[in-house]
Amino acid sequence: MKKGLLWVLLALCTLTGCQKAPEPVEATTFAMDTVMDFTLYGDWDRERAKEVRDWMLERLGWLDGKLSATKEGSDVGQINRAGGESVEVGTPTAELLSQSLELCEVTGGALDITAYPAVKAWGFTQEEHRVPAPDELEALAQSIDYSAVRLEGDTVTLPEGMELDLGAVAKGYAGDVLAETVRASDIPSALLDLGQSTIMAVGTKPGGAPWRIGVVDPAQPGSYFAVVELEDMAMGTSGGYQRYFEQDGETYWHILDPDTAAPARSGLASVTVVSPSAFLCDGLSTALFVMGLEEGAQLWRDHPELEFEAIFVTEKGEIYRTAGLEDRFSLAEGYEGREVVVLE
Amino acid sequence: MRTKLIAGLLLAAVAGSVVFILLRGRAPAPVARISRDGVLLEEIDLSQVDEPYSLTLEDDSGRNVLSVERGRVCVSEADCPDQVCVKQGWVSNGAVPIVCLPHKLVVELVGTGEDLDGGAG
Repeated sequence: MKKGLLWVLLALCTLTGCQKAPEPVEATTFAMDTVMDFTLYGDWDRERAKEVRDWMLERLGWLDGKLSATKEGSDVGQINRAGGESVEVGTPTAELLSQSLELCEVTGGALDITAYPAVKAWGFTQEEHRVPAPDELEALAQSIDYSAVRLEGDTVTLPEGMELDLGAVAKGYAGDVLAETVRASDIPSALLDLGQSTIMAVGTKPGGAPWRIGVVDPAQPGSYFAVVELEDMAMGTSGGYQRYFEQDGETYWHILDPDTAAPARSGLASVTVVSPSAFLCDGLSTALFVMGLEEGAQLWRDHPELEFEAIFVTEKGEIYRTAGLEDRFSLAEGYEGREVVVLE
Repeated sequence: MRTKLIAGLLLAAVAGSVVFILLRGRAPAPVARISRDGVLLEEIDLSQVDEPYSLTLEDDSGRNVLSVERGRVCVSEADCPDQVCVKQGWVSNGAVPIVCLPHKLVVELVGTGEDLDGGAG
């Protein structure tokens, strides 16, 4: 009898112990001008997951060293300083450039990777902000033109006076590369946070539930207004609130319109893109922010082959989402009453 | 006698587990976890804050002043050039951490009771 009780108690202990989720392998690192967080669930072999994590960090550091516009000796830095001469770059740089130039074209130049001189003129690289004069902006806008970039194999040629900046796409590209590593290592579930604005979800959470990601309220960046469920899917947000400065009562944010070389004023406060490719989420969220709601929604209708969905928040606080997010999108606590317009 | 003792110990263990699980399912107790360059500096249980106070974090890279109130935290002052951490304002849920990149300072909220895995924005 007493023994029986012992067994029951033992069984209970074991059961309660089962509630514990598998221990993830985690990493936090500063790269690509942001802080990144990786969480890997490979509970079948924790040591293996740690190896994968270390390899990812190394790979990330390497990519950062190639793709950064400011780092000494980077591929992008060499292209920018070549004075019109051809430069041979690493294959990943060439691959990202090729993908980026395609996206620049699809978005009609709303994304333009040659806006670096304008970014510098506004002081967003050194955080020493200034407002360039109208004639300076006009000259800057004239020199922004992605179609002038020549890419043949691994050789890049950029006209003198122009400069590349892959800041709008590098994090996303890194997300895709790292996710590939995770999948190839048979790690079934991982969450790669590539610096708040870009997230890559590999598989589901351990146990099979989708990852739940909050979308920041641009009017109150300390809160989130919606939750998106992701499964083998990436998500990226661009918003004027992320980096900006104020001068003489005006707010100037870091997302520039390639047409004017000035902060993009399209009536949007933030754009979130959901797609299997983190690169696309990263680049497209910037482009759609520049294009505005109408044009952005049209791009979504015209390009089903890009396989993306989007959430738009206007400066007035209106929320729009595309139809494909049905069942994956919900309003967060405290925002339940808000109207969400579904774009078809 | 020995069986009784073991049974007693096991009973206590089960009771403990049950209490733990019940507590875990109850009202959230948000904790602010402050780290610099990946190293944990401080953990503040925000449910235990009775009087608002501020906390200054300083090293070679610079200075951040944190304001702490029950259930929420913000960076109220910093000498970083971009002021991104200050502009983010009060944070009371765990969606997106406060990050001061120039100072490699991260303030994240855990245990807010909201079942989010991450945030974008």
